[in-house]
Amino acid sequence: MAQYGFHFDGTLCTGCKTCVLACKDVKDLPSDIAFRNVYEYGGGTWMQDASGAWTTDAFTYHVSVSCNHCDVPACLGKCPQGAISKDDETGIVTSDPEKCIGCGTCATVCPYGAPKVDKETQKSVKCDLCADRVAAGKVPICVEACPLRALDFGEIEELRAKYGEVAAVAPLPDASETQPNLVITEPVGARPAGDAAGAVMNEREIA
Amino acid sequence: MSTGFATALGEITLVLFTTLAPSGALAFVLMGAALLREQGEARVRINRFLIVPIFVSLIGLVASATHLGNPDNALYVFTQVGHSPLSNEVFAAVVFMGLAGVYWLYQFADRANSRVQRAWLVVAMVSAVAFVAAVAFAYAGRTIVTWNTPFVPVALCLNALVGGPVLAVAGLHAANWEPAARGFGRTMVAASGVALAVNVAVYAVQGMDLARMANAVGSAAALVPQYPAMVVLFAALCAVGLAMAGVPLFRRAELSRRRAAAAAALVYAGIFVMRFAFYMMHMTSGISL
Repeated sequence: MAQYGFHFDGTLCTGCKTCVLACKDVKDLPSDIAFRNVYEYGGGTWMQDASGAWTTDAFTYHVSVSCNHCDVPACLGKCPQGAISKDDETGIVTSDPEKCIGCGTCATVCPYGAPKVDKETQKSVKCDLCADRVAAGKVPICVEACPLRALDFGEIEELRAKYGEVAAVAPLPDASETQPNLVITEPVGARPAGDAAGAVMNEREIA
Repeated sequence: MSTGFATALGEITLVLFTTLAPSGALAFVLMGAALLREQGEARVRINRFLIVPIFVSLIGLVASATHLGNPDNALYVFTQVGHSPLSNEVFAAVVFMGLAGVYWLYQFADRANSRVQRAWLVVAMVSAVAFVAAVAFAYAGRTIVTWNTPFVPVALCLNALVGGPVLAVAGLHAANWEPAARGFGRTMVAASGVALAVNVAVYAVQGMDLARMANAVGSAAALVPQYPAMVVLFAALCAVGLAMAGVPLFRRAELSRRRAAAAAALVYAGIFVMRFAFYMMHMTSGISL
């Protein structure tokens, strides 16, 4: 079996959110739901030295995150309905609207905020890694849309061989929790997962 | 960032469920224990009034069902028993309510077999305890940092130990069971008081633990800014409720039914406050609250 995943290159991303909007467009999502979000993580302070000169250690960078189709998905583990499954062939984690009761447990437990409950249908919805496009030999729309080529898609083993093993930078959780199929090329000034020095600066942009 | 008030308000039906049902289940166990010691007329009366804890638990269960967005095909929940802690919780709830409900109805059978009744009651009591445990661990899991502590299941069980005895006193008293207004009542109120003291201590330690928790979006302290005040309110409401029932009991004075019921209601109001705080503090280890 294959396990597909994403690569995110933090050295290329400018935080333009084309990935977010391309996904919303293709998946026809309402304004309050995005399957992919771009987090702006930043922090730092200004300091004045003895001679009165100011210096700063301010930092900011972007992280584009969708569902990571984890090896140990918290949503799948906690769904009381067995509505969430992981495909044997692709490793894609999907939610079955037939079984879903809209209880929101998946959204409650996912540390990536990936599944959401659609207010209209009262069903859980999430990124399906553009399974139909992938089956047709294409890449997910977010990857194709990125003007900076900061996103890549493929078999996770190949992505890891190509880009390394990093799967978490702040503000993402430690990768050991759900074992996401994500590879990150760390942005400049990247902070480790669990970092307390910074914060998500664009909370209101996240859907 | 905003507080967790909206989160808890969105889960208000679960706040109600976790307030009512565990205490109701424990009250069922305590009333059942009283019933098992009795024969004849007293037994018949207690049997009738077992509807009190069953009804309280049932209101909670019905409330919890209304939080489902789309209950079609909800029966799939039983396919995940043993896998999802929430399925375990729902399963335990259905087993308890089913056993307790059928037990209650069976007393009206023309020729109810008392041995069957006894055995059935004991099984229902065991299922009630299992149900409380299942609720306590319903959200066990690593990704929700504020809920993944030993304080969460311990506090939930203590809530049941605080609320269960007072509801049992109210139910048994309503059933005119003499000891509920005497020694048994005193023991129950005292037990509830001890549980309350331990529960407040657990909440205090949990509060200190919460102070260190944060993710990139927010901090637990900011999600539940009134946490200390809520613990104080919990302690006060429960203490006043216990005093309402306890003062006449310990003074060997008459405890009215209304007063016993009001005492239980106050204790439940206190538990409600902390269940609300529990949902307010929801925060994952990652980028979502």
